[in-house]
Amino acid sequence: MTTTVPATVTQAAPGGSGEIDPITTEIIRSGLNAAADEMNATLIRSAYTPVIYEMKDCSVGLLDDRHQILGQSAGLPIFLGNLEVVTELTELEIGREGWREGDVWILNDAYLAGTHLHDMTVYGPVFLGEDLVGFATCRAHWLDVGGKDAGSPTDSTNIFQEGLRLGPTKVVSGGQVIDYVVDVLTRNGRFPYPARGDLFAQIACVRTGQERLARLVARYGLETVRRARDQFFAQTERIERAAVASIPDGRYTAEGSIDDDGVVAGVERMVRVAVEIEGDRMTIDLSGTDDMAAGPINCGAPQAVSAARVAYKLLVNPDRPVDGGAFRPLEVKVRPGSLLAAEEPAPCEWYFTPLGLLIDLVAKALSPVMPDRVAAASYGDSMVIGIGGTDPRTGGPYLVYEPTVGGWGAWQGGDGQDALINNVNGSLKDVPIEVAETKYPVYVRRYSIRRDSGGAGRWRGGNGVEREYLLEADGTMMLWFERSKTPGWGLFGGHDARPPEVVVNEGRPGERRMLKVNGLSLKRGDTVTCRTGGGGGFGDPSLRSREAVEADLADGAVSPEAARELYGYAPVHAASGESASSRTGGNR
Amino acid sequence: MSRYRVSMDIGGTFTDVVAYDELRRDYSAGKSSTTPADLTEGVFSALEQVVDSPADISFTVHGTTQGLNAFLERRGSKVLLLVTEGTGDVYQIARGPRLNLYDLHYRKPKPLVRRRDTVEIPGRLDYAGRERTPLDEEAVRQAAKRFDAEGFEALAVAFLFSYRNPAHELRAAEILREELGEHVSISLSHRVAREWREYERTSSTVLDAYIGPTVRGYLERLEGEMRRRGLGVTLHVMQSSGGMVSASAARDVTLQTLLSGPVGGTMGGVALARLLGRPNLICVDMGGTSFDVSLVVEGKPDVSTETEIEGFPLLMPVVNIHTIGAGGGSIAYEEAGGLRVGPESAGAEPGPVAYGRGGTRPTVTDANVVLGRVDPSFFAGGRMRLDVEAARAALAALGGRFGLSATALAEGICDVVNANMGQAIRTLTVAKGIEPRGFSLVAFGGAGAMHAVFLARELEIREVVVPPLPGAFSAWGMLETAVRTDLSHAFYSGLGRADREELAKLLEQMELEGRSALSGQGVAEPDVRVEHSLDLRYEGQEYTLVVGLDALEEVRSPRFEELVAERFHATHSRRFGHANPGAPIEVVALRTTVLGDLGRPDPAPKPVEEGRTWTSRRRRVVFGGEEHETEVVRRADLPIGAQLSGPAIVVEETATTVVPPGSSLRVDPLGTIIIDVGP
Repeated sequence: MTTTVPATVTQAAPGGSGEIDPITTEIIRSGLNAAADEMNATLIRSAYTPVIYEMKDCSVGLLDDRHQILGQSAGLPIFLGNLEVVTELTELEIGREGWREGDVWILNDAYLAGTHLHDMTVYGPVFLGEDLVGFATCRAHWLDVGGKDAGSPTDSTNIFQEGLRLGPTKVVSGGQVIDYVVDVLTRNGRFPYPARGDLFAQIACVRTGQERLARLVARYGLETVRRARDQFFAQTERIERAAVASIPDGRYTAEGSIDDDGVVAGVERMVRVAVEIEGDRMTIDLSGTDDMAAGPINCGAPQAVSAARVAYKLLVNPDRPVDGGAFRPLEVKVRPGSLLAAEEPAPCEWYFTPLGLLIDLVAKALSPVMPDRVAAASYGDSMVIGIGGTDPRTGGPYLVYEPTVGGWGAWQGGDGQDALINNVNGSLKDVPIEVAETKYPVYVRRYSIRRDSGGAGRWRGGNGVEREYLLEADGTMMLWFERSKTPGWGLFGGHDARPPEVVVNEGRPGERRMLKVNGLSLKRGDTVTCRTGGGGGFGDPSLRSREAVEADLADGAVSPEAARELYGYAPVHAASGESASSRTGGNR
Repeated sequence: MSRYRVSMDIGGTFTDVVAYDELRRDYSAGKSSTTPADLTEGVFSALEQVVDSPADISFTVHGTTQGLNAFLERRGSKVLLLVTEGTGDVYQIARGPRLNLYDLHYRKPKPLVRRRDTVEIPGRLDYAGRERTPLDEEAVRQAAKRFDAEGFEALAVAFLFSYRNPAHELRAAEILREELGEHVSISLSHRVAREWREYERTSSTVLDAYIGPTVRGYLERLEGEMRRRGLGVTLHVMQSSGGMVSASAARDVTLQTLLSGPVGGTMGGVALARLLGRPNLICVDMGGTSFDVSLVVEGKPDVSTETEIEGFPLLMPVVNIHTIGAGGGSIAYEEAGGLRVGPESAGAEPGPVAYGRGGTRPTVTDANVVLGRVDPSFFAGGRMRLDVEAARAALAALGGRFGLSATALAEGICDVVNANMGQAIRTLTVAKGIEPRGFSLVAFGGAGAMHAVFLARELEIREVVVPPLPGAFSAWGMLETAVRTDLSHAFYSGLGRADREELAKLLEQMELEGRSALSGQGVAEPDVRVEHSLDLRYEGQEYTLVVGLDALEEVRSPRFEELVAERFHATHSRRFGHANPGAPIEVVALRTTVLGDLGRPDPAPKPVEEGRTWTSRRRRVVFGGEEHETEVVRRADLPIGAQLSGPAIVVEETATTVVPPGSSLRVDPLGTIIIDVGP
């Protein structure tokens, strides 16, 4: 069975017809986007945890009273356009009359919002006098919401192990914060101060949005704002449809696998994508994806829709702001019960693992007809290492928890980038060695670019990295390294990249390799070497220019063996020794 | 006789000189074309317009774009980078963020040092600065040989934990000087920025090395040339922090002069804040191709402890200047039936249609021309002809697509761009926890005062200030500044657990170092002021807030923790709207700023010239869809105390001030134009 989730709510809003001049329309359009930017600025600057202000693991949006996006500020790409689901579902539950001025709500249910329980959506209605004129919403990732393990459990088997779960819950009533709700929210996590800080940052963000939208409507009048909205939605829709119409009609498919679900070892899970282009319409059909898994790689339907929109946006008009007209040419199909439309009680903690793959697969599917817009696959997932225990220097607990950067795919005209963070982590930065060693009992022996890990190609895939830790105290480790079965693939003759690997005590007695683990005991003096994959290559490697290969050799991006075998490079045996790596310490 | 305080803004095209005459208590300005081959030529030709003899000059300060241009045009030195073994790629990895999230073809900023030009040196300190592995001196000597053999021009040395213990960096420098001579350019990371985070520190150090030889060579030439021409006083250079430093001291860490040129405008805002008694200002600098915004809050420039330029992080105090738009060159166009203005700009070439240099797409400047807000006969002081009809035709063509007349579209374009700029300013202030309503808007640059009243209305600001000498505002502002040395030291500890004796000692040491730097620049002891502060955050946060100490003694007070915590909660609440009283606080860095006061202008208010009239013309200008008879007057003709009600337009050489209906203007005793924005 296939259900269709409409990509946008398209019912007509009342009163939106009639003439309006293009100047007023444009001022209102940009005013709504600016209001969303202002909400974002409020959230980012006041957020407590780096997850929000640095990973941009957040998203804000202003909606009209029909739950259509009036203005959105770019946060994490995978949160694109799925805020409206939350206000819609709440309205179904409480009725239209349930919205009251000065109220703010919060929700994190994984199946309603689509992501994991860490993601809190905070939202409130906007009134002008008696009229409900829209909603201000924001979503942000909290450090901890309870759940069985600190950080993110890799082996949860149901949602109840993953933390506190909230349906639509009022947290501010008529402008007054409801203290006992705040108490529930902060008492159920391991880090009450950050939870409180982030909650109030989100409330401040929603209040900013409520105030800005109300002022804008008061200034121009509800009728005018609605007319302007219809105008700029229509403009956006025309632009989007024209872009889709320029893609040749057809059905384009791609598939790839997740190594395993974290619980059942050795069983790959397939994500299957079929993109259909028909005139000015695009359908992304995800229904061929495998059934829900026992482990925490499941994702709620709204979030799968959102990820498909990201894939669309990366290829079609990436520079245009998103509004209620942006996704009108797009339909996304998911199959209830599949791992992209999970149902209770499926665990959802690592919901984004199939989404990173999905986004790359849409590009792969469309590569024959959009060769200049796509890119080969990236290293693909967050590649998280967590080490925790007691710090002998302070006697207190410590927890190192880091996603790891890797290589990105090459594209027509450009090499993939080395060492970049993956899609779902936004603009996250790695943890500096000086910060890590000061705060935690670890010694980072090496942090370097992993030679030869990117796929060969006329344009070379970016290299991953190698990061080696020496433990200076006993501890336990969790790992979530993925995409070894489907590493960054090449396109148009470009080669696939190397997959990730993690080695404990490499080259020493007791050497062990693993990619996912939960609660592994390690001793002081043990080493952990993490290597992330590269990005795929683009185009036949034999077409790569000699100068480019020589530069790769000089910079140590490619080994002499790989240059010879993959690129057919023969060094000139001149006295100068030009083509040898002259980089000290480049022997890796 | 020493009577002039002189500032020089040596830009890419023009050199502006402002002299403050301590006898007459008044300013005068000179301007000349910049002479790249020998900058002193341009400087002296502008100087001669305002000062009779170099011997009359008691003080000089200047802003330079030498370092910035070397960086922007990638003309810097060839740098060899020495780093700790195992971390050779830290500079290339650059912490791995993707700064544009919707770009499959994203590229990182291209590093200034290639991977192959990085040398890993064995030798390692731990987090407390204790040696784990001794420095491999032979490896340093090998690097020196490579430097020589391969024609490198500057060295950057950035070892892990050098901010805790600089011994390895210092020893490496010693060896490098032994091998390469005393004059080799070496940038040491702990000297450039004594703070943690190896990538940010390395990036700062590399940039210092990259521009170092260029800036040092320039300062030596300029100073020598000035001395030769009889100017005997110390030459000062503006720093990115808004303070100044003597040219000889600037050679030590050239990085601090990187944004030397642009900060003058903000310091002009600081001067206005003092002279007008208006502590809170939003300064907008709108030119033909740019729109920059900076803030003065409570009489002080808005300074951050770090910044980034073209994606490269820099750990140094810097006056924040935000570029948020394209200025008068923004192009208006039709897209899918909608009107858009910018961000695409016609730039200087081809420029607006009215310039007649081949531009065909209407811009914001064209809109102003067609509305009559620009005086076509006095544009750029009358040196440039404007083709009003071509601008009107371009606007009429675009307007036809929307069923709008040329003037209706022109006014619409201005409305859109004013709304956009106003919103961008608002977002920027909100991000800093500032409500713009209580601020005054300072407008400079050619187009700033043309849009200022409209922007102010957008932001609900009541008052617009157009400074005297708006064309040389940056140079004018430099005269306000003090000698400044900033020192920082990483110090990571919980606030309650902090070793306060060590903390106090470090601050004392920094103060001593700062005082000695200033006395080396000829600042007398009584003129020195010291400010200590701590970078604090709640445990778990990444960003810090700077919290000042009233005095160093506070550190040893039994109430230290309580006092500082209280201040931090209050700062957090003011900035972010909420605080977390009771939550643990941690210290991340210590900062000491040492300021040396070398005096500043004290211009005499001029008497109101009662009864004096001025000549003006009348022209029809469009406001609110209708043509209004509008008074057009030259600024030089307006006497002190003059008052005008809008609609009016004030023109001068470098700028146009538009006073729309409902607003009114007066000229204050310092010659400043103050506009009451009206309802």
